[in-house]
Amino acid sequence: MAQSVNKSRTTKRNTALALIVPTSIILAVINLYPFFYALNLSFHRWNMARPARGYEFVGLANYATAFSDPRFLNSVSRTIIFVVFAVSIEFLLGFGIAFVLNTNLKGMDLIRKIVIIPVMVMPIVASLIWFYMFNQRYGVINWALGLIGVPPQAWLTSKTLAMPSLIIADVWQWTPFMMLVILAGLRSLPEYVYEAAQIDGLSKWQTFRRVTVPLLTPTILIIVLLRIMDAFKLFDLVYTMTTGGPAGSTETLSYYIYIQAFQFFELGYAAALAILMLILIIIISQIFIRWLYKGEAATA
Amino acid sequence: MSTSAGVIGAEKKNQAEVLRQLEKGRTRQILVNIALYAIALGFLFFSLFPILLIFLTSLKTDVQIFSETPVWIFKPTMQNYKDAFTGAWSQLPFLINSLIITIISTAIAVVFGAMAAYGLARYEFKGNRDLSFWILSTRMAPPIAFIVPMFVLIKAIGLLDTWWGLIIMYTGINLSFCVWILRGFFLDIPIELEESALVDGYTRWQVFTKIALPLVKPGLAAVAVFSSIFAWNEFLFALILTAQNSKTIPIGITGFSTAMGIRWGQFMAVGFVAILPVLIFTFLMQRYLVRGLTFGAVK
Repeated sequence: MAQSVNKSRTTKRNTALALIVPTSIILAVINLYPFFYALNLSFHRWNMARPARGYEFVGLANYATAFSDPRFLNSVSRTIIFVVFAVSIEFLLGFGIAFVLNTNLKGMDLIRKIVIIPVMVMPIVASLIWFYMFNQRYGVINWALGLIGVPPQAWLTSKTLAMPSLIIADVWQWTPFMMLVILAGLRSLPEYVYEAAQIDGLSKWQTFRRVTVPLLTPTILIIVLLRIMDAFKLFDLVYTMTTGGPAGSTETLSYYIYIQAFQFFELGYAAALAILMLILIIIISQIFIRWLYKGEAATA
Repeated sequence: MSTSAGVIGAEKKNQAEVLRQLEKGRTRQILVNIALYAIALGFLFFSLFPILLIFLTSLKTDVQIFSETPVWIFKPTMQNYKDAFTGAWSQLPFLINSLIITIISTAIAVVFGAMAAYGLARYEFKGNRDLSFWILSTRMAPPIAFIVPMFVLIKAIGLLDTWWGLIIMYTGINLSFCVWILRGFFLDIPIELEESALVDGYTRWQVFTKIALPLVKPGLAAVAVFSSIFAWNEFLFALILTAQNSKTIPIGITGFSTAMGIRWGQFMAVGFVAILPVLIFTFLMQRYLVRGLTFGAVK
């Protein structure tokens, strides 16, 4: 008896191992290995274009350089500006539209199904179509502005307008995501809460402020966090629309690391920048996860 | 007499007042509805216009494309599609590369992902939660942080500019996604079915393949579609890890931007072909869109 229990325990463990180990190995190769490699590389100077100088241990020199590298610091602030503006606009728009599409009017359901399209569009196609639309001479945006008497703007080659242009393209692609998830959150709210609110005599605005918003908060925090982490990676739009210009006004972290690694071939320095980027992302996501748990503890 | 007539008169007045109020409320409701439709249709236009423009532009001649006042009515031409997919600069090989890399990486990710997801959902062991979160975090990390080491590794094993370089990358990235989403699907099915199968003499492996897997078929379809879309659309790794031989379609598309300017017509043609299958699959996956896009955090 004891033996058979033991045996079943062993087969149970073996099955679990057989199921989980392959994935763990693949992820270790693709994720743990690069992480430690990058960490190690960040303490070295290694320029692929000048192999003669070799692979030299430099300690924390790369990190020290980073903090006095104006281009790196600029790319951090540019990334943060992009993330803050893009994600807030996407959230506010998505939130508002979700409420509009949640009304029981005819056709709203069909509209909801169609407006989700941009989310899945190949980012490189999205960035090129916006590149076309923002063209100063034959772009449809300047043409439309011309109809209401606004003079043509140099969207992507202007220091002040290039970043807003990228944000507009990102808002186009990701607002439907916010809308879709908030709408799903709205629809999953239990009916009885609203009945209770009605019995308590809450006005529409009070119901919204005291019932809907608090119940939606966990969903909102999750999608905002997901969007922030995603927006932080911004590369495709910059690569095709502005190549970081004009004068570095749209050079994001991802793009600057790419330049260091694959145009200057400073792999050691690029690795150090990548590690700094990871640290930044971890800090931001930790803040959100704290909020999330705090929110959960408060409602529980 | 006079008093009762007064009462009736007052009642009539009251009724008229109520009717007026109702009428006012209805007018207000109609105005609100018009506003709601205006917002919804405005957003619909904003979302769809660029896609429509890709399609329209792909059917235009260069003269029409570079016209300063956009041409809305024209005789469509298929020339851009012909130029983009035939001849020495054809994008067809890139389309084929994309297709192969997408299918193979998705297949591997779904198979191993389903196995690991079942393991994590059904077997209690120390560190289960940590392992699950680690798997999720591998998907959240910025690709640029891994690009240098992966470039060095893939170059070292001689897989630079081959299908396999990208297949390895996409499998890895999609694997964590598949595990995380499918784990949720497995947790949703009642464990009693599997327990009774065990009592009936099924081995644990049979319980997995014959009982649990068929029950999460929709989940398998959903993660397969999402993984395919990711691999199909991915740009950064493809940019670094491929050159001429295994270039995928997103990289092929950027080739239309030349020193002589951008060949918009052909770009739009290829762009439209590249996004069409994704749009179709998105429609088929409506039900699982939210779950897939939020890593199962919102169902």
